[in-house]
Amino acid sequence: MSYAYLFKYIIIGDTGVGKSCLLLQFTDKRFQPVHDLTIGVEFGARMITIDNKPIKLQIWDTAGQESFRSITRSYYRGAAGALLVYDITRRETFNHLTSWLEDARQHANSNMTIMLIGNKCDLAHRRAVSTEEGEQFAKENGLVFMETSAKTAQNVEDAFINTAAKIYQKIEEGIFDVSNESYGIKVGYSTWTASGGTGGGNTSAQSGGCCS
Amino acid sequence: MGGQSGPTMDSGDFFDQSEFVPSSKSNAPSKPVQDRSSSSSGNEAGKMVVGNGSPDSYKVVFIKDNVSVHPTQNASERISGRLRLIKQGASLFMTWIPYTVQGAARRGTSIMKSTEKDRNLYTIRAVSLAEMRSIRRHTPPFGLQYVIIVLTSGLAFPPLYFHTGGVREFLSTLRNHALLVRSNDDSNVYLVNDVQDPLQRSLTSLELTEVTPVSVITPAAEPPPVVTKEDDVEPVPEESITSSSMHTSVYRQGVRREASREIINVLEKFSMVTKFARDTTAHLFGESRFLGNSEMDLDRAPMRLRNDDASKSNIEFQTLNRPQESNSDGKEAVAKGEDETHRRLTGVEKEKIERGEKEKKEEKEEKKKSAEEEAATNVGTFELVDGTQNDSPALVWGRARPPPLGHEEWATFLDSEGRVVDPKALKKRVFHGGVEPNLRPELWKFLLGHYKFDSTYAEREALVALKREEYKVLQTQWKTVSEDQARRFAKFRERKHRVEKDVVRTDRTIPFYEGDDNKNVDILRDILVTYSFYNFDLGYCQGMSDLLSPILHVVVEESEAFWCFAALMERMAPNFHRDQAGMQAQLSAVSKLVQLLDNPLHDYFKQNDCLNYFFCFRWILICFKREFDYNDVLRLWEVLWSHYLSEHFHLYMCVAILKRHRRKIMDEQMEFDTLLKFINELSGHIELESTLRDTEALCLFAGEKGTACIPPGTPPSLPVVEVDAFPMSL
Repeated sequence: MSYAYLFKYIIIGDTGVGKSCLLLQFTDKRFQPVHDLTIGVEFGARMITIDNKPIKLQIWDTAGQESFRSITRSYYRGAAGALLVYDITRRETFNHLTSWLEDARQHANSNMTIMLIGNKCDLAHRRAVSTEEGEQFAKENGLVFMETSAKTAQNVEDAFINTAAKIYQKIEEGIFDVSNESYGIKVGYSTWTASGGTGGGNTSAQSGGCCS
Repeated sequence: MGGQSGPTMDSGDFFDQSEFVPSSKSNAPSKPVQDRSSSSSGNEAGKMVVGNGSPDSYKVVFIKDNVSVHPTQNASERISGRLRLIKQGASLFMTWIPYTVQGAARRGTSIMKSTEKDRNLYTIRAVSLAEMRSIRRHTPPFGLQYVIIVLTSGLAFPPLYFHTGGVREFLSTLRNHALLVRSNDDSNVYLVNDVQDPLQRSLTSLELTEVTPVSVITPAAEPPPVVTKEDDVEPVPEESITSSSMHTSVYRQGVRREASREIINVLEKFSMVTKFARDTTAHLFGESRFLGNSEMDLDRAPMRLRNDDASKSNIEFQTLNRPQESNSDGKEAVAKGEDETHRRLTGVEKEKIERGEKEKKEEKEEKKKSAEEEAATNVGTFELVDGTQNDSPALVWGRARPPPLGHEEWATFLDSEGRVVDPKALKKRVFHGGVEPNLRPELWKFLLGHYKFDSTYAEREALVALKREEYKVLQTQWKTVSEDQARRFAKFRERKHRVEKDVVRTDRTIPFYEGDDNKNVDILRDILVTYSFYNFDLGYCQGMSDLLSPILHVVVEESEAFWCFAALMERMAPNFHRDQAGMQAQLSAVSKLVQLLDNPLHDYFKQNDCLNYFFCFRWILICFKREFDYNDVLRLWEVLWSHYLSEHFHLYMCVAILKRHRRKIMDEQMEFDTLLKFINELSGHIELESTLRDTEALCLFAGEKGTACIPPGTPPSLPVVEVDAFPMSL
């Protein structure tokens, strides 16, 4: 399937916060409480449309356990967007955000768009982190914030799409040079043309052609 | 060496000892093949017995004598034997059994010592037609006709020279039993069963096309026509080659030539490497029994044409059938004869007693021989293989996989008190054939090291009881932590919580762990939490539940499963250390192995910044647990745990799988991201058996150089004991 752009996303956060469930909800529109824990990394992909352009999201779902941090770091390379996830019912997953953020800042490109996700908001009765705290953390660190439930699908679609919209906006503003794949963006091979991306002059060719 | 081209034999001839005959001589009842020593000698036992009139009867549909293998360029060293096609039910098998020393001696031929063992090494035992990929025939106007048989795994047998013609007959017989299609590319190549798994096919082409050539061995008469792809000679009708050609002096010469893209051609060359690979193997893996090289040793694991239940199977292959009474061929033959005596089917009890003795004898014998072997290998042609130079698939010369080890055969490995008499033979047996599911619970305990091989029934019984108590104590340590205590014990809470979160997402689609409130999931949890107390320094880490799940599934009993897991973790713990040093060591070893075994691929990874080999991370961390379906994982793990060819067989397996996809990886210019995704998505699409064979071949081929890529102490080797800064004082 053709696309105008491909964005690489990475989902990070402590183990058990619902990273894989968020991905599955987004790609398959289902919630699967019983799935194998992630070892290393898993992949998902979905097409979305922004500004009438088909955009393919390639999503890397990483293992959350601390011991695998060193390998997770290698996945940041070339990611355009990151979903940093914590579990609103487990305080410690919120407390660890700083260290995740450090990793991301250090190993991803500085223009990576990071969305902070407080997941499991369907479990409000067991909430251990208030919405305000989440907002506050996001604000302090320049992140976009949203609470989601992979179980009920609440805000899941938005979380991914809003992130993509942010990235798209950065392309439009010329912040990204889309010809440089280290930004986590690939220009598609389709007949789709970028509508004037400053950095992406090569995408305006009619055929789209080869844009590497 | 080898039986120098004798005339066709009359029955009763010595050559016939390696023959099998229908059991119409009903005094030879179907002999169950469970006895691992069945590669015995002697006239009676030496026959292949055929179930009379049973649907499993075997029929010889083609016999050709004086078909030889030429291990070196020295014409006198050729090994002659008998080629046969055997039909069993709907299946057709090919065997090539070399003549015996005595048989050759009777013909007035002297047997060179150094090649005595070769006969066994080159023997082709029951390779199924289904395993064949192609046959290339060479029918030069001068010189010998020969065929090269290439297996679906991409590996080839050495050329089989037909000293008395018969290639056409051979092919036409095959054609009667299988789909044989002439290749469009080369009319001398016949594709066998050309309806193959595309993956397999790609393997054949991918792995071999960029091979640095070794040398071509050219059978020739004067003037020597070089029979290669480039200088191909029009095939001539077989009739024009008279049987006198068998007397033509044949010599071989090594010729360097450019790499050919033509697969079959390349394969031919690889078939020449056999001897090297074999020798290397023998030297490197301490395989002390050249006579029973890992590849084709029958003395422990009798091959069957089919994986019938042992008791039903009634066929045995014999090779070295020399009655010792006629032994007059000098020292080696004498020793060999004794060997054979030991191999004779003498009943399980006697066999057990003799086994140890026999092993000792063989080892002694081999020590003596290895020196000779070395000299023999240095002769010409075969030193050409430089692992770093070759983009090589190694060779596995054909062998039928033995069926999984079952209870009856297992009993033959034990002495009367229950000790495993010959652990190495057992490991080899498991390595090649695996274990029947109902034997796994017991055998895994040995393979994992929970049971010692030299323990008796009584000792094991005591151990089980003792360890059960010990397990209870360990479990009580955490089960008795009160709520109040837990509140002040964050590390405990965290570990328990992690385990609880992970066991409910481990293999829940397997019936054993399926459904709500599954008690096996609880046991999984209890074992893991207990382990995190048993090994508090390590604690719990993701991936452990993947390793434990199959063990519990197989072993079932909780305490025993715990100790099996603990034994496994003695080797695997470094995979889970926080510093990831164990993983790094293995990934770096894979990198070195790829450099050794596929330098172009290594260069490619280097150029594309992929040398961290993180794409192999999951493979190694949990031993391919996520890459195969559950049953295949069980099969794979017992092969790995046999530590037969290498403790690091799984690292060679990484290389084998990468090599299989090398072309795609490089053609599509995969970078770190795309490569990782590609590798991830191979999960569930890797064919186990062929991968095991490839791996085995690679492992043999890499030999000492491969071993040198893997530093001592690399997991899953047992760690070197360190002096503790905090000595224990209990």
